[in-house]
Amino acid sequence: MKIGILSFAHLHAEAYIQNLRAVPGVEMIGLADDDVQRGQHFAQHFNAHYFRSYEELLAARPDGVVICSENNNHRSLVEMAAAAKVHILCEKPLATTVEDARAIVEACEKAGVLLMTAFPMRFSAPVREVKARLDAGELGRVFAVKSSNQGELPARHRAWFVDPKLAGGGAIADHTVHLADILRWYLQSEVVEVYAQSNKIFHADEVEVETGGMVMLTFANGVFASIDCSWSRPPYWPSWGGLSFELITERGAVLVDAFKQNLTVFSHEIQRPAWYYWGSDANQGMINDFVDAIRKQRPPKVTGVDGLKAVEVVAAAYESVRTGQPVKL
Amino acid sequence: MRVGVAGVGFMGAMHAAAWVETGAKLVGFTAETTEEAEPIAKHYQVKVFPSLAAMLKEVDVVDICTPTHLHAEMTIKAAEAGKHVICEKPLARTLEDGQRMIAACRKAGVKLYVAHVVRFFPEYALARAVVQQGKIGKLGTIRLNRGSFRPKKPVGNWFLDESKSGGILLDLMIHDFDYARWLAGEVESVYAKKITAQNGSMLPVDYGLVILKHRSGVLTHVAGAWAYPPPTFRTGFEISGDGGMIDFDSSSTAPIETLLQKISADAPDVGLPSSPLDESPYTTEIKEFYAALCGECVPRVSAEDGLAALQISLAAIESARTGQPVSIQPLAEVQS
Repeated sequence: MKIGILSFAHLHAEAYIQNLRAVPGVEMIGLADDDVQRGQHFAQHFNAHYFRSYEELLAARPDGVVICSENNNHRSLVEMAAAAKVHILCEKPLATTVEDARAIVEACEKAGVLLMTAFPMRFSAPVREVKARLDAGELGRVFAVKSSNQGELPARHRAWFVDPKLAGGGAIADHTVHLADILRWYLQSEVVEVYAQSNKIFHADEVEVETGGMVMLTFANGVFASIDCSWSRPPYWPSWGGLSFELITERGAVLVDAFKQNLTVFSHEIQRPAWYYWGSDANQGMINDFVDAIRKQRPPKVTGVDGLKAVEVVAAAYESVRTGQPVKL
Repeated sequence: MRVGVAGVGFMGAMHAAAWVETGAKLVGFTAETTEEAEPIAKHYQVKVFPSLAAMLKEVDVVDICTPTHLHAEMTIKAAEAGKHVICEKPLARTLEDGQRMIAACRKAGVKLYVAHVVRFFPEYALARAVVQQGKIGKLGTIRLNRGSFRPKKPVGNWFLDESKSGGILLDLMIHDFDYARWLAGEVESVYAKKITAQNGSMLPVDYGLVILKHRSGVLTHVAGAWAYPPPTFRTGFEISGDGGMIDFDSSSTAPIETLLQKISADAPDVGLPSSPLDESPYTTEIKEFYAALCGECVPRVSAEDGLAALQISLAAIESARTGQPVSIQPLAEVQS
């Protein structure tokens, strides 16, 4: 099976290219990028073939592509790949507007190609274990959730992450979607109301977008869940950030810190502690599922609709920030 | 490649679950009694062999997961029958037994691998890689901790018979002796203290503290406990160099903590913290041994490593008994 990568704008492409190469039977055919310098840099770095255009990569007739462009370019690339009848794994958030996210889902449905949204946390070993315990009824009914997906300022890695047009917003667009998706999956219920507040106190002079955000979701089944999506981690935090949550159930509580499997390494070189992750690689599970879905022509475990639902939550959160009122979905 | 597993305790079950993830064919089990082996054989829909001798006729590889004192005779029988051997740690109960096993396998031209699984735990493997990359400079001191409760078995608890298991200094702490040697090289001397206590109706307590001096000058401190209430199991390490240090504690790196109310009188209040992985380290280990048997790699731990770790454990037992430090004599097997 042949898979290519469209754009290396998102840093996750650097992980996915290695994940693709680790799957038996998959040929990673190379990458294309509208930023020639960036594309050639990563092609050389990963010893991969560089296609001079997206069209040229699609003309090589891959079975699937992974789209890692700036968020607002997802739609045009998805439409191009869908028209070429190529299956798609698209980086999150699926789009910067609900309209684009809907168009993405419809384009893939119409073309009859599989669309997966890159929500790797669904493949995280601890997140999956709690899902299994929930489904087995061991934890009882969930009443409420406290959660956070905090990080450092991502502009350190790529400048466009803090460009409101390219990224679709700041911390809310970046860090609400993973938890919104996990919770929809855990609860098997949809979000019906969103309340959000944001600010720009961290890195106030460096960026235009919000860097702090607190979101409260209410689900159709009555569960309420808060999400702290802030870029509040200082640059000397021991890792990029993390994702954690506490489920309050009728039997008590389950606490999950998904990126806790670390060594703490102190080195004279950097003069501060650093976390070295030794847990299982959730990205690999996601890439494996994408490949398996193509092989078996079955829906991937995370769909385009899942991506769309998360974009709806983000849009509602921004509307709530604007109006100061909870927003119904 | 046909594999038979000898022993159906915890380790036999873990290894069987791992073998079915490889390209090898699990053909059956043998145990002290056929009744013991029937449930697991039924689970995998494979045979129960009445004896090791019967199993040897139908396999290419024997995976020995029996009590420690039985490893030598079973390994030697398998080697004489021309079968490769995977042997659970400790390699043997005595140094002579371990040496006889290695000699028998070399003579028969079969592979012998010892299952020191700690080297396959991702946190231990990563820490060693970080050391190898020079991120903490030159090693100075190492502290390795491992603790749970005294092993329980429904019947015939051979762990309690030190003539069979070697007690905590051999059965438990050999994990960390092997890891210390993997990190810091050969050991020069061993000094050990140990308590084994059974106080009336209270839980038994075994605890050992061991100081290793490596030939490189590095000092390793190893603590082993069978002193915590079930189901506690925790490990940790602190590896310090002249350019930094690495810290790990399983109890503070477990992603899932459950604080659930009892739903029945005998259920625990608080579950064990959970640290799930996509692949069990036992599976990682058996996959590597399988690849090695197929000639695709050299496994990260050899039978000779198992012998050297056994030698350290036996030195610790002797030191704890005599109160004197024990020198480690270089082993011919390890040098060749």
